[in-house]
Amino acid sequence: MSAYAHAEPNIEVHKFYGGTISVATFLALVLQAFLNKYGAWVGFLELPLLITIYFGLSRRNPATGLLLGGTIGVLQDAVSHMPIGTYGIAKTVVGYMASSIGSRIDTEHPLARAALIFLFFHVHQAVLTVIERALLDRPVAFFSSKLLIAALINTVAGLLLFPLLDRLRKPS
Amino acid sequence: MSMMEIPSRQRPLTLLAIVIGLQVLLLAFQIKRDHDVRLVRVWAVDILTPLQRSGTWVISSVHGVWGHYIDLRRTSVENDRLHSELGRLQLRNRELESRAVEADRLSSLLGFRTANADVPMVAAQVIGANADASSRTIFINRGDQDHLRKNMAVITPDGIVGKVVEVYQDTSQVLLITDRESGVGALFSGTRTHGVIKGMSEPYLLMDYVINDEKVSPGQEILTSGEDQIFPKDLLVGTVVKSKNGNPFAVINVRPAARLDRLEEVLVLLTRRDTPNQKKAEPAVAPVPTVGTATPSSAAPGKPVTATPPGTNATPKPPASSPEHP
Repeated sequence: MSAYAHAEPNIEVHKFYGGTISVATFLALVLQAFLNKYGAWVGFLELPLLITIYFGLSRRNPATGLLLGGTIGVLQDAVSHMPIGTYGIAKTVVGYMASSIGSRIDTEHPLARAALIFLFFHVHQAVLTVIERALLDRPVAFFSSKLLIAALINTVAGLLLFPLLDRLRKPS
Repeated sequence: MSMMEIPSRQRPLTLLAIVIGLQVLLLAFQIKRDHDVRLVRVWAVDILTPLQRSGTWVISSVHGVWGHYIDLRRTSVENDRLHSELGRLQLRNRELESRAVEADRLSSLLGFRTANADVPMVAAQVIGANADASSRTIFINRGDQDHLRKNMAVITPDGIVGKVVEVYQDTSQVLLITDRESGVGALFSGTRTHGVIKGMSEPYLLMDYVINDEKVSPGQEILTSGEDQIFPKDLLVGTVVKSKNGNPFAVINVRPAARLDRLEEVLVLLTRRDTPNQKKAEPAVAPVPTVGTATPSSAAPGKPVTATPPGTNATPKPPASSPEHP
């Protein structure tokens, strides 16, 4: 995957301890399933998406980002009732975009992170909506007030989560 | 196309397209549309059907041009064979139509025979006609061995035909009611006015010995009166075609009820007993006095026959007493 690294020379590519991405992905999926039992408001959280965005921004390699996003999405599909590939496609797109953007601009600043999480959340939901309307033949709305609330909740959650994940980076 | 051939700046984009494409395919395998058909099948059909339709059209067009305009080697032979087959089938069709008509006739005869099961009668086939133009006779394929005797009545379900005049071993000659020597005791079905039906060797019959004052209108039915000792009472003879005053009696033309010009099967009554389904003769109107005794007699044809008490016509009389054959 190193062949696909296109990070700008002045932008640092972060590396993590072995198994960090796998464990983080696993925990995100487990927590996502676990938290959904405790009220509807928890359903707004999209931990697998936050993991995808974080590692995409950190690795800054589009190929790695899209593969990681695809893998996380497919796993999320596997534990949900959605046809396998629904979240996979959405997170593939997000992973690709996050790593592409991360390779060009500094995404360490909290404000930048907040803006990107908010943006990617909507991209993720837009792709999901397109899939549901085009392939699953479901009349899903592209935008709603709940979507805005969910975007804000995930933005806040991302701002809290990302510093914790930063601690798992290898020292450069 | 391998990854090595793709420019390095486009490789992530290519990989993105591949990964998304694979997942879309994965979705298409799982999603089912109407009638429980998987989406991938719907797509495949949508993609392939136009191609198949186009291919089929091209092939059928080529095949059609080849078969209809180029490869005509066997067409002439096949045409001859089909013409031959058509002729054979047309012949067969006519044969079957003829059999169907025959079946209808036989069915009618059988129906009449069944309805009058207690009246001895025998069905016969017409095998020949008169040899001269002036007489109206036919030959039937029943004779002495079938217990036929002279003066037995010959009828069809439609109406009376004539009487047996000659009996041979296995054939008989029948004198039709249209023969000029024929005479039948008859009456009008409505008024019960008696008269005599005479043949004129023409298609129509003549109802004679009816006075001019009698009201006769076309369409009136003429029945046998039974007084001729040949035909049972109240069998249909024919219908009045036209009537006019004459001297001394009215001239009444009657169309025979039986199709005498196209007879093929007939029934011969072996006795003179009345058939059960005959119309019950009600003597509502007394016999019209015509000449002398006023009713047809058993005398020579063309003369009124003597009134016979009811029931006396059940027994065939000797040929010598036949009203038609003096």
